[in-house]
Amino acid sequence: MHGEYKMPGGKLVVIDLDVRDGRLAHVQLSGDFFLEPDSALRTIDAALEGQPADMDDAGLARRIRDALAPDVMMYGISPEAIAVAVRRALQGEHLA
Amino acid sequence: MMRTEWHDHDWQLIHAAPQSPSLHMALDDVLTHEVGAGHRKPTVRIWEWASPAVVIGRFQSLRNEVDAEAAQRHGIEVVRRISGGGAMFIEPGNTITYSIYAPLSLIKDMSFQQAYAFMDAWVIEALGGLGIKAWYQPLNDITSEGGKIAGAAQAHRGGAVLHHVTMAYDIDAAKMLDVLRIGREKLSDKGTTSAAKRVDPLRSQTGLPRAAVIERMIATFRRLHGLTDDTLRADELARAEALAQTRFGSATWLADVP
Repeated sequence: MHGEYKMPGGKLVVIDLDVRDGRLAHVQLSGDFFLEPDSALRTIDAALEGQPADMDDAGLARRIRDALAPDVMMYGISPEAIAVAVRRALQGEHLA
Repeated sequence: MMRTEWHDHDWQLIHAAPQSPSLHMALDDVLTHEVGAGHRKPTVRIWEWASPAVVIGRFQSLRNEVDAEAAQRHGIEVVRRISGGGAMFIEPGNTITYSIYAPLSLIKDMSFQQAYAFMDAWVIEALGGLGIKAWYQPLNDITSEGGKIAGAAQAHRGGAVLHHVTMAYDIDAAKMLDVLRIGREKLSDKGTTSAAKRVDPLRSQTGLPRAAVIERMIATFRRLHGLTDDTLRADELARAEALAQTRFGSATWLADVP
């Protein structure tokens, strides 16, 4: 499943994932945003992996925020924007 | 760490003969580290391309961004760079690409948005001298009334900031659209449905040869910030060539975000 969200004033946030037993699986975040350090990408993927597919946007954003070290810098992307891309993927909005 | 100004640094210029796409990726990695470690003075590098390439951003999905079959058909090498941002479609002679390797002190306490505009203020001035009214469009574009001219990306590594920019000098938009997958969502707030229309290259805007545009850019940097001609050291080139082989030319790195 594939979801995309162009964050207003930001960059394109893309999520590819599967759902297994009602939980997010094989989550892959991608896009033309900026993250420092670059290892934060894997941290975000891992934070989303296994979360209930029916979790709301605020819950997903909180999971992401909690997983990231305080020194991680995001530019053109936010935990909230990632949550929107997850929801779009789950809703089967294939915009690519 | 104290904030530094452009004039606090002894800027060096590297403008080497054409190099392969994977070597360019490796040189950015090596030279950022060298400046960060204090082994090299802050440096501007003008790129010359030996062959066509698609350069995808650090966090872009290879399969979502690139039509691999079309790239192969056109003989275009696909590489992944160390900075975020979007895909660039490169044909030798059609783009002007440069990197700036600077100590982080140069952009200390700046927001990302401020740091991007700050690092390219000299280019805006150079373009003005060429008769192009250009400005910085956050987050990371240089644009003009005619459309986008360039895209920038930064990465922070070990005490240094890499700021690199690709400017469109000329463009084969049909080929670009054949190779890059540009989705509708990406264009949703751009006010146009045509990716080709988003770019307005320097050739049509200046009427000048590419080399002349580069010359004017270098002269502007030199006048504003000072610039000494330099070359790659043998050990820097050797390390970059090794990295181009083992890392930046590898399928593992290219598909790091599959």
